[in-house]
Amino acid sequence: MSCTSYRNWIGNGNVDCNNVINSHNNSITVNIADENPELMRWLSPLDPRGRHQDVRTDRADGVGNWLLKTKEFREWRSNEGGEDKGVLFCYGNPGVGKTYLR
Amino acid sequence: MLTIRNISSLVIDNLCDEPCEEDIAITMFYYDFRDQQVQTPTNIIGAILKQLVVRGEVLEHVRKAFQKAKREVGGRGLRLPDMIQMLKQALAKLPRVFICIDALDECIPKHLLELLGSLKDILQELPRTRIYLTGRPQVGGEIKRHFTNCVAIPISPKTQDVRRYLEKKLEMDPQRVAMSDSLRRDIMRIIPERISEM
Repeated sequence: MSCTSYRNWIGNGNVDCNNVINSHNNSITVNIADENPELMRWLSPLDPRGRHQDVRTDRADGVGNWLLKTKEFREWRSNEGGEDKGVLFCYGNPGVGKTYLR
Repeated sequence: MLTIRNISSLVIDNLCDEPCEEDIAITMFYYDFRDQQVQTPTNIIGAILKQLVVRGEVLEHVRKAFQKAKREVGGRGLRLPDMIQMLKQALAKLPRVFICIDALDECIPKHLLELLGSLKDILQELPRTRIYLTGRPQVGGEIKRHFTNCVAIPISPKTQDVRRYLEKKLEMDPQRVAMSDSLRRDIMRIIPERISEM
């Protein structure tokens, strides 16, 4: 499966996962989340995708793009740093510039 | 607001959007201190796994485990080791999975240690997994202790970030009448300067 199908999934805030299923595996055309509500609840009561949609809507275009260009990020993303470089930790105060920006 | 949380969403979108040669899957979790009680390590590992179940190859073994649990004592809940085991099975079936967890400082300390321990265990067994974590500097010590080779990047707003943020805010301003060109110029000049001095 390509990254594109995940883009669809997250991009439209679709919590149904239909896009994902259809794009990578035609034999499963059913909606897994809808078909298995009990199983999904058994795994976890949490559903983080809605929050991702809220956070990304709030983001101004271009903010933080510098991070994506850093060597550290590129290496982590592409696995070039090797398998022992599996963890990337970004730290700071949660609302930087909070006093000025609301 | 200009937050690390926004940066996390940017990283996740970048992982999703940028073309890659490999088949990758992206999972995420955003901690929220208001939901601390529900955000147990078991539920978080479960939420990660939930995002992988949409893959047919993962669904099957999870479904089997579920049916087995249902037969036993009318649907037993899962314990953390079971959940980790199931996630490991899922990860082993997929080429490369990203696990992104935002705002670790918003979870209670006991949970933080359990979660980091679980992630360490997962990474040791499945070293191709990529883990992205964020939090206040204070949680850095624990993270370093669990992942000695972790790469740490400090996040502070760059002048350019502040400018972009302000541009968006001014564009969306519902009270445009109160805005003049000179006021706009002052805002765009003074605020980014002040913030980058912080």
